[in-house]
Amino acid sequence: MASLSEEVLLVVKKVRQRKQDGTLYLMAERIAWGPEGKDRFTVSHLYADIRCQKISPDGKAKIQLQLILHTGESTTFHFSNESSALKDRDAAKELLQQLLPKFKKKANKELEEKNRMLQEDPVLFQLYKDLVVSQVISADEFWANRLGDINNSDSTPYNNKQDVGISGAFLADIRPQTDGCNGLRYNLTADIIESIFRTYPAVKQKYGENVPHNLTEKEFWTRFFQSHYFHRDRINTGTQDIFSECAKQDEKGLKSMVVQGVKNPLVDLLSLEDKTLDEGYGASATTPSTSSANRTVKESSNAAIIKRFNHHSAMVLAAGSRKGETPTDQASETSSTDGNSRDSDLFQPPVKKVRLQEAIEYEDLQRENRLKTVALNLKKSDRYAHGPVPLQSQHYTTSQDIINSVNYIRHEMVNYKPNLTQVLSSTAASSAITALSPGGVLMMTGTQQAINQMVPTEVQGELKHLYAAAGELLRHFWSCFPVNSPFLEEKVMKMKTNLERFQMTKLCPFQEKIQRQYLSTNLTGHLEEMLQTAYSKFHIWQTRRMLRKT
Amino acid sequence: MKLNIDGLLVYFPYDYIYPEQYSYMLELKRTLDAKGHGVLEMPSGTGKTISLLSLIVAYQKAFPLEVTKLIYCSRTVPEIEKVVEELRKLMEFYCKQTGESNNFLALALSSRKNLCIHPEVSSLRFGKEVDGKCHSLTASYIRAQRHSDPNLPSCRFYEEFDSVGRQVPLPAGIYNLDDLKDFGRRKGWCPYYLARYSILHANIVVYSYHYLLDPKIADLVSKELAKKSVVVFDEAHNIDNVCIDSMSVNITRRTLDRCQNNVDTLQNTISKIKETDAAKLKEEYRRLVEGLKEANVARETDVYLANPVLPDEILREAVPGTIRTAEHFVGFLRRFMEYLKSRLRVHHVVQESTPQFLKDIFEKVCIDRKPLRFCAERLQSLLRTLEIADIADFSAVTLIANFATLVSTYSQGFTIIIEPFEDRTPTIANPVLHFSCMDPSIAIKPVFQRFQSVVITSGTLSPLDIYPRILDFRPVTMASFTMTLARTCLCPLIVGRGNDQVALSSKFETREDFAVIRNYGNLLLEMSAIVPDGIVAFFTSYIYMENIVASWYEQGILENIQRNKLIFIETPDAAETSMALEKYQEACENGRGAILLSVARGKVSEGIDFVHHFGRAVIMFGVPYVYTQSRILKARLEYLRDHFQIRENDFLTFDAMRHAAQCVGRAIRGKTDYGLMIFADKRYARADKRGKLPRWIQEHISDGSLNLTVDEAIQLSKHFLRQMAQPFRQEDQLGLSLLTLEQLESEEMLQKIAKIAHQT
Repeated sequence: MASLSEEVLLVVKKVRQRKQDGTLYLMAERIAWGPEGKDRFTVSHLYADIRCQKISPDGKAKIQLQLILHTGESTTFHFSNESSALKDRDAAKELLQQLLPKFKKKANKELEEKNRMLQEDPVLFQLYKDLVVSQVISADEFWANRLGDINNSDSTPYNNKQDVGISGAFLADIRPQTDGCNGLRYNLTADIIESIFRTYPAVKQKYGENVPHNLTEKEFWTRFFQSHYFHRDRINTGTQDIFSECAKQDEKGLKSMVVQGVKNPLVDLLSLEDKTLDEGYGASATTPSTSSANRTVKESSNAAIIKRFNHHSAMVLAAGSRKGETPTDQASETSSTDGNSRDSDLFQPPVKKVRLQEAIEYEDLQRENRLKTVALNLKKSDRYAHGPVPLQSQHYTTSQDIINSVNYIRHEMVNYKPNLTQVLSSTAASSAITALSPGGVLMMTGTQQAINQMVPTEVQGELKHLYAAAGELLRHFWSCFPVNSPFLEEKVMKMKTNLERFQMTKLCPFQEKIQRQYLSTNLTGHLEEMLQTAYSKFHIWQTRRMLRKT
Repeated sequence: MKLNIDGLLVYFPYDYIYPEQYSYMLELKRTLDAKGHGVLEMPSGTGKTISLLSLIVAYQKAFPLEVTKLIYCSRTVPEIEKVVEELRKLMEFYCKQTGESNNFLALALSSRKNLCIHPEVSSLRFGKEVDGKCHSLTASYIRAQRHSDPNLPSCRFYEEFDSVGRQVPLPAGIYNLDDLKDFGRRKGWCPYYLARYSILHANIVVYSYHYLLDPKIADLVSKELAKKSVVVFDEAHNIDNVCIDSMSVNITRRTLDRCQNNVDTLQNTISKIKETDAAKLKEEYRRLVEGLKEANVARETDVYLANPVLPDEILREAVPGTIRTAEHFVGFLRRFMEYLKSRLRVHHVVQESTPQFLKDIFEKVCIDRKPLRFCAERLQSLLRTLEIADIADFSAVTLIANFATLVSTYSQGFTIIIEPFEDRTPTIANPVLHFSCMDPSIAIKPVFQRFQSVVITSGTLSPLDIYPRILDFRPVTMASFTMTLARTCLCPLIVGRGNDQVALSSKFETREDFAVIRNYGNLLLEMSAIVPDGIVAFFTSYIYMENIVASWYEQGILENIQRNKLIFIETPDAAETSMALEKYQEACENGRGAILLSVARGKVSEGIDFVHHFGRAVIMFGVPYVYTQSRILKARLEYLRDHFQIRENDFLTFDAMRHAAQCVGRAIRGKTDYGLMIFADKRYARADKRGKLPRWIQEHISDGSLNLTVDEAIQLSKHFLRQMAQPFRQEDQLGLSLLTLEQLESEEMLQKIAKIAHQT
């Protein structure tokens, strides 16, 4: 067997694959199947490669388990042990269910990352098409460099990735579907389950207590959907319902939240009123009696809806900010649950003071306290955007400094005497002037504009892609230098061939195309130049290596 | 900034000023000059409070003999504290400008619950408990008992205050509630009694309405305030209801049962005292013969001096002989109670006037009007004599006695309604006797009569002329101010139809209509998709909201809304609602966005502001009419028609519109703020409704936005929100809605300002 050292978690005999009997092995990192009597696996999948598993519906003659891989291929196992087929299959399924998510994350993250990068960056995507799809370099090679970059440069933001809040409507997203025969089917995803758990810790606790000893997962969720959590107008009455306890817990939580009171005194409705009327006074003192006795079922269910909406929203909000806030929450809790009013007095005023100050502030009536700054008034904003930039950040000078320096310069200028022995020769000066005048060597922009107009846009686009692709390849190439390891040596060789291949498959057809369209071949001149530079570098390196070897 | 308001130098603690603030101060000055009352409406968020304070403080400094005190009444505790903070800012500005130290004493007064520093007492949660506990430690006879038995518990803060606190007045300064507590802790004095004592010589007092309007408290706290005071009622749009509430009494069977217990306790105590200390009762009898007007009775700690507006002349009379002895009085109470019990055993609704009631009681149980009038006084005297510590337990009998006094004192303005059951549950017997006040002017009359200037102000007082009518006073100034805006930062839209052209309305006939409910749901759903951060929606009543929420849930609308925003809903429980509110703000703060479903006339609509991102849109579902089937309301409407010539419909519409305006006004709290105001009911388009909105909202309703469909409203809102999201700087406002001193003084601007005030 290939790797006996691997820990085998489950062995299921009498499993057929492609009409062949065999044994299914579930190991720590992969699932494998070997035909009966043979000593090797004909099927072996790493868990990381598996996208999902599917099982045949209950009541079907064949009891099967299908694995679907990320590549889209699938493998079907048929459990053929007459007596225990169902049990075998379920055992395998359960185990896979536990194992897959662990690996899924790892595999998916990379794939997702790649996908995301390609989607976000059209240039990269084009490059990918140019290089990988046209098989100039392999996908691994392409990514080797990129992903490494990412993981190194901004690993911190990815490692402690931002917590995602919970959608307020996650329960609504579970759309029930009728299955045709008087039943409802709910589709649960891992995300929804996580949302439920995060919002309702009581449910999570129940889940931990009951699954899988007392209930199967399916039964658990079935009950969940029957409970009041899902149907907020349902008042739970059955005591057998495992969720009735949750309801009580929720109620308790809600109550404790209420008792804790609010931190912001301005929204505390209890202390709003200064002097309430004594009982018995007041025109409308008799509020519609809320005693539970004479409330109709409908009314109390309405009240339940309202209560649960409040609770739900509060929980969703809390779930979103739970992590960051726990320490502060605790701090405030301890100080307020001391019960000692004096303590809470000492604790309260700052919050209250701040809130009060905020409430009476008229920001527009006050003169702004910030330092008066002069608004930037640009006549030509493009000149500002493209103008010369200072090389290093400088300390801003005060106006006094400027005046001083102006004075200084003026002073200097008064005493200025040209040092005629060290000036530029007239020829050099005139050549510089020609170079800088329109049409000169350094002022080629004029002709480039001509290219813009001369060359059709699609050729321009193509040229751009070629530049990008060539740039990418060259980047790979040049990044190998200095070549100081066998790996880099190998890579540099490969890159050289890649470059050649690029020239053959991409550049040459393009050149021919330009020629056919009677455009100046000068267009690709620079590209070729770059490639030539790379080649000559490569040759120099190669000859040096030969020399060293000999 | 130093302003010249009609010849008065006013220090204004900001560098800029809104034109309407200047205009407001002018009107206010006129009111004070005339020594009359005023009604002023100015939009919220335009710095009403600071304008009021600046002007009145300046007036006090300039004419210290004309105006000795400012009594500033506000509605909620946070409001009170805000006022004091603004005052502090003003005073700091004064000090900086003039270089003198502040010689003003200003303080806030609140109930014991907010001021107590006694470690045990202040840890109690409810105001009533705190009051009761405090009383059991500080009542005069308890302290007297302590002389003989020093082991009795006492409040060292009160003792300390009582022995030294009164000798030296509170040093000048600005004292908020927390400052008072700090001061109290430092000195070891009780802040509550210190504050109550200090309001007598303070220059500025800030407290809640009840201290002036509720006769039971006013008599205790505000009796000796100087006549030359200026009284300001801020947020006064609801003042008539506060007045009515403070004078109305409800008696249920439970009240009577508890009263029965109280009376039994009294009886037992009396017989016990009779055995041990008969002299005490005799002494009481002697006092009662002499008359009720004993100055020493008004010992301030004796809370139960609650006396519902007894005219002074009655107090000078002696208590009638029939109830002078303690036993007789208890017997009298028993008789009265039995009578009430028999009245509650009705099977149909009874409504009668107070004279009818008095006649009936005389015929049935031979109780005269006169002893009834003294009932409250007599009970207080008895409770004092019997040295009962915890008066909280005796609230039931106090209530009955107060009722007796009220019913025999006022022959007009009150009605008695006895309902055997609630309308919604006709099978369950739950008899209630409502003794309801219909005339708000009764409670507020002493205030208008006593103080030289009373200013009623709020963001929403339209239509202005109705307040003087229902409160029965003659204002010298009435003005409504608009909000000058550099950009139209409010966008009132009237949505009258759904996308399917179904007329939207919360009127009774269509309120169960699914099409309307669905369209309301669509409106909210679509709004939730386009409005950033917070949306507040108001319903006309709690029951209506419950029903709508339930059917939105069934129709799946709420689920769809949840995709956009979290949903929080007001509940009848204040603590739960507070939590929901806080979470709502948190959700707005962290960018998730939320919707608050709330009820007009509820606590949220009255006391909570939704500044900036806490409320980018307010949706008013329906017109918040009061429940018109209530008999109390019907009686009140009838009374208004007969005595004030206000038609029922006018009053109902006025009442509905002031609440609607309150609700939508919650979202705009300043010129830098912005918000949508969506009136989702086609009835808002009618001139009689629209015309009752405050002018600052009305003038932004264009004819084109009177009967929009949901889609059209969404389009307009999108446009509005996009515009508003652009940066808005101070320079944009300057010269238009924000003025420097130079700009203010220009001739042109002064002419413009003159137009801001809209006199009625």
